[in-house]
Amino acid sequence: MTATAAEIKACCAAAYSSPFAAWLLGPRFHPGGRALTEQLIRALGVPPEGVVADVACGLGESTVQAARTTGSRAIGIDLSPDSIAAARRAAEDAGLADSVEFLVGDAEALPLEDGAVDGVLCECSLCTFPDKERAAAELARVLKPGGRLALSDMVADHERLPASLRTLEAWVACLADARPLGSLVELLAGAGLGVEIVERHDDALARVFERVEARLRLARAALSRDADLGLLERGLDLVPAARESLELGILGYAIVVARRPVDGRDATTRPLAASNLV
Amino acid sequence: MRRNATAARVDRPEVFLELTKSICPLCKRVIDAEVNVRDNRVIMRKRCPEHGPFEALVYSDAELYTAQLRFNKPGTLPLEFQTEVRDGCPLDCGLCPEHKQHACLGIIEVNSSCNLDCPICFADSGHQPDGFALTLEQVSFMIDRFVAAEGEPEVLQFSGGEPSIHPRIIELLELARGRGVRVVMLNTNGLRLARDPRFAADCARVGAHVYLQFDGFDRRTHLAIRGRDLRAEKERALAACEREGLSVTLVAAVEKGINEHEAREIVRLGVSHPAVNSVVFQPVTHAGRHLVFDPLERLTNADVMKLVAAQLPDWFRVDDFVPVPCCFPNCRSMCYALVDSDGVIPLTRLVEVEDYLDYVSNRVLPDPEIRVALERMFSASATPGAEAALLACESCGIDVPAALAGMREHAFLLAVQDFQDPYTLNVRQLMKCCVEQITPDGRLIPFCAYNSVGYREQVRAALAGVEVSPVVPNAVPLQPLLAETPYGSRTMA
Repeated sequence: MTATAAEIKACCAAAYSSPFAAWLLGPRFHPGGRALTEQLIRALGVPPEGVVADVACGLGESTVQAARTTGSRAIGIDLSPDSIAAARRAAEDAGLADSVEFLVGDAEALPLEDGAVDGVLCECSLCTFPDKERAAAELARVLKPGGRLALSDMVADHERLPASLRTLEAWVACLADARPLGSLVELLAGAGLGVEIVERHDDALARVFERVEARLRLARAALSRDADLGLLERGLDLVPAARESLELGILGYAIVVARRPVDGRDATTRPLAASNLV
Repeated sequence: MRRNATAARVDRPEVFLELTKSICPLCKRVIDAEVNVRDNRVIMRKRCPEHGPFEALVYSDAELYTAQLRFNKPGTLPLEFQTEVRDGCPLDCGLCPEHKQHACLGIIEVNSSCNLDCPICFADSGHQPDGFALTLEQVSFMIDRFVAAEGEPEVLQFSGGEPSIHPRIIELLELARGRGVRVVMLNTNGLRLARDPRFAADCARVGAHVYLQFDGFDRRTHLAIRGRDLRAEKERALAACEREGLSVTLVAAVEKGINEHEAREIVRLGVSHPAVNSVVFQPVTHAGRHLVFDPLERLTNADVMKLVAAQLPDWFRVDDFVPVPCCFPNCRSMCYALVDSDGVIPLTRLVEVEDYLDYVSNRVLPDPEIRVALERMFSASATPGAEAALLACESCGIDVPAALAGMREHAFLLAVQDFQDPYTLNVRQLMKCCVEQITPDGRLIPFCAYNSVGYREQVRAALAGVEVSPVVPNAVPLQPLLAETPYGSRTMA
């Protein structure tokens, strides 16, 4: 089943603005944490005089990290005004107001000029964009020729997903709409980008599952007995199946780095091993 | 000159990591030392102009050793130093103004006598004809010096000898509490707690935390490490602590080939016993009195973490242990866990601890208060309960933390601490040590310097009014050179 666009947006907004969900997922929503973000930022190859856009930036932590790592200016863009306000406050507190800015905006209609930025960072969010073709086209549009997109995302092979996780699909929209890695790569190529790097990082997702499990257990242990523990128990029951799907490669996490061709010519695309695309 | 074309150049069999200073294990003179990696093992090599070369294993996992370096927190200055720099580290202790860190934990050895004569004792204590017991006035002066250096000291541990047989130990504990020391610990073998119900009650009354020597459950372990089967006494001591509401840390000395297999049951007791909130594993310190050992085959922190992970695979992994940033991060690793109906939840599964305690990348953190809370937890002065602040601030605004107040009794702390000996002493680590031995003349001497460099013998000689032979390690390669001291340790023949 596929959720409608409105449902997905509502689900994500609810998840990321619900303190309990935020707490379950930890302060960094995307798998791989700071280390994987750093890898993506470095892959952009943005010079200090350049500009990086962080699309679906959430609370802007990676936006700040991008500015600090590259020495360039960074623009964080997110659909949620609350997140943007919080990100602005955090950047001001960190004394980075000069090098980082934040805009409310939709990934399917980015508030940036054509060729406005040297690099685009997009972490764990393409799966939540209802119109992925349009979003991919937008990510490509705002890049300067020769600029790179560094993207991380959930990947899933829905046909092989066990029945027990179909329930999870229903309430975790990003899983419901995650694509297999192969079609993710095709999507970016279809937007005219030359794919340079494709890597699976399933371990990073395993760590997120582990964190969610640990936090569900903590919540169960901490909450009083008369509280409704049903939801926590149901969440914990899904953990073994999720773990198994991850081991079988049915679920996963991946990064893709792709470059906008220079002068309309096709960028050289590194040949990809078929095993990478499962 | 042309090289002979047939002679192939050969690589050294090791990776050179650092050049540092150490001491000769025999004459204790300060000498240069190299630290190299060989077969993923970190090995110190040094040469004394008089006694020749020495090699010792420092850390059995080079990858872990090097990865830990980024946890190196900038040190905090104490309010005052006690000595001046004259001869250089480690001869000016302490603390001299070159020292990189304040004291998280102070130790006062109140006596040199003990009601046991363990084959393993870094303090070289026992039923001995000479010795000392500090007076109330002496201890009071030492606490004054500690307070002068620290302001509000975190932890003061009373040790010995066996501090529980000091006739005024309860008054001493009370004295420290009265001076504002946050946690006052009694480092004990537990015999008096087991035998004297009034003593446990008195400890509880003065609010002491019990740091209980506990090496395992096998009779053979007790005989090898303590010289006596103390199992019944340990059980009674723990029962007394539970009865009186005392909180307990189990402290296991781990020696190769003796009690490595007991890690699992020690941790399980720690998690399940109502009085126990923490377990510390210490690879046996080859200072003072100890069994014959091979310096290249000694246990290190990495081995102990791997033992725990191998014996309790459903509970812990090696990466659940976090290097402690306040001291040099190779010295101590700690793991916090919350206990629930399914077992334990290591804190590292809840929070990306490493992201907050990486000091080398030196970045701006979105939530600095989490780092502060983590620093309080991952320190030599940490006790369980410290995690409450973290969980509260890490998850503020949610209903869960309000309920976490009730979690306190479920928190559990597991630490692994390798102390240096005359073979492994490295001034790089020593200069940032945060565990200090307080001497009656008011110095704060890093624990490993105190036990290895000769300070212990000097202090003991001065206090007991007897000559004390310089102690040297009972190491395999030194056997032909050694003679036994009156206390059972070894000295140069």
